[in-house]
Amino acid sequence: MNFEELCAMEAAYDRDEIVDLRSLDYVSSYDDHLMCPICHCPFIRPVRLQCDHVFCQKCLNSAITSCAGGRDEFTCPSCRSPTRDLYLHVPRLLINMCDDIRVKCPFSAEGCTEIIPRGHVQSHVEKYCGYRLVHCPSLVCDKKTRKKDLNADKRCMHELHQCSRCEEEVMEQDYEEHVQELCPSLKTTCPDCHTTVFRKALREHIETCPEAIHCCAASKYGCPVKVKRAELSTHEKSCPLITMGPYFEAQNSRLDSMELTVRHLQQRNELFEDGLAGIRSTLLESTRAMTGRTVTDPGPSNPPDDSSQADSANAASSNATTYLLSLHESLREEVGQLSHAVTDLDARASMAIMNECLRIKEDMAHTNAAVGSIRMQVQWLMNPRLHQQPQRAGMRNGNGNSESAAAGSSSAGPSGPSPGLLRPRRLSDGGREGTKL
Amino acid sequence: MGSQKRIAKELAELMESPPVGISVELADESNLYAWKVHLEGPENSPFAKGKFLIKLTLPTEYPFKPPTISFATKIYHPNVTNDDKGSMCLGMLRADEWKPSSRISAVLQFARQLLAEPMPDDAVEARIADTYKNNRSHYEEVARDWTRKYATE
Repeated sequence: MNFEELCAMEAAYDRDEIVDLRSLDYVSSYDDHLMCPICHCPFIRPVRLQCDHVFCQKCLNSAITSCAGGRDEFTCPSCRSPTRDLYLHVPRLLINMCDDIRVKCPFSAEGCTEIIPRGHVQSHVEKYCGYRLVHCPSLVCDKKTRKKDLNADKRCMHELHQCSRCEEEVMEQDYEEHVQELCPSLKTTCPDCHTTVFRKALREHIETCPEAIHCCAASKYGCPVKVKRAELSTHEKSCPLITMGPYFEAQNSRLDSMELTVRHLQQRNELFEDGLAGIRSTLLESTRAMTGRTVTDPGPSNPPDDSSQADSANAASSNATTYLLSLHESLREEVGQLSHAVTDLDARASMAIMNECLRIKEDMAHTNAAVGSIRMQVQWLMNPRLHQQPQRAGMRNGNGNSESAAAGSSSAGPSGPSPGLLRPRRLSDGGREGTKL
Repeated sequence: MGSQKRIAKELAELMESPPVGISVELADESNLYAWKVHLEGPENSPFAKGKFLIKLTLPTEYPFKPPTISFATKIYHPNVTNDDKGSMCLGMLRADEWKPSSRISAVLQFARQLLAEPMPDDAVEARIADTYKNNRSHYEEVARDWTRKYATE
């Protein structure tokens, strides 16, 4: 089946339909899956597309007519898959479930209390509903009347009759109801003081009934008192909130005016802030443009064919420049730190070297002294040998020689080399030289 | 009109069980096609604690044409134009993306979700999108600031 046939069928259905199922009052809740995605009602005469999505026939029709691309490009309203054919045989189950949903009779406003499955609405309205509005059987009357009020001999029931008691004009079909319930000449009792009054006077009576319960006049400021009208005046004399009333009023009006001025100020503030933001953004743009120019000037400048492109290029190059500048700055800082560290190290190294030099000098002096003392001792040790040679000649002086040797060892150092001793040392030196050679 | 019935139905549903942080009413009781939506900024977003007023306009061809939504409250967001219109760019509201089976409730929830997770690649405010992508903390700061300034009573 194609779309043209669908449209034709739709028109045929529209003609012989009494009840608009979409405007019914649905009483029972129904599953979302039974709902047409377009009109959100339970499906009414569902049809199925190639993609297995189901819609009301009428909804699909209006979807097709409102489709911009025309019938040839129509796509499923749910899944947007292109579709050309549709099928009328939707599962019976789906139709049954939709028809089983309970609805109120469309003439419930007229007094019909029936609640029926949706599938039976048509026949209910057509055959059974007494509240259905039908045209008046009289040809000259254009009013409608309820089906149950239709007179057996098909007389017009819309003629006006005067009520015998209240002199109001009432239609014949409403006359009975009027006389029994609504006529203002009927008596009724006040619900508060139980006096009997005329219905037409009841409203006035309630306004003045001394037994009617009223709120305190200061209830809007929080007075919880509710008393009978007769006692209200005594309460109001003592109610503190009533005496405060004028003050509250004044405060309220002051608050209102303050709020108004605050709102005005807020609006002005907003305006100013907007202006400020505008100025800031133009400033930013101009500085950006300036930096961009300084960067692009030395090189071959961009041809100004596309201003926005040039702008963005400027922005990019200025970004790059600032990045490079910051990199340069950080590098410079690093170099400064390094040179600091180097001078520091240098100073420390020279200090250490100096210290070491001093110590070595001291050591050298010590060694020198030690060498001196060793030389002395060697000299002293050599002395007796030199002396022995002259003594070997005269063995008698042996004791005295040993004595003088002991004395020499006790007084180490160049304390008192006698001129006599000096000479033989030189001899020994000579002797040593002789042995070396 | 079929559209009125569906709109009335959706409105009733939204009023009866509103989604989290969203409340709707008619801007004018006699006109079903203009709605006022109060949107609370989602938690865990810089718009938290903000109350944003959104104007939702339905075309007479609804649901065959998409609704439009615009922020009456100023908001710092890459997908909302920063002018007096405050129109929001939602993917699902584009004419070629819209499906008659989409609901207003879904649209509003999607809009609220967009506050929590902006889509800088679909942005209408390129500068804000740039800030969002490159300097998230600054974006959040400004957004919070604007929320405090414009979206709190």
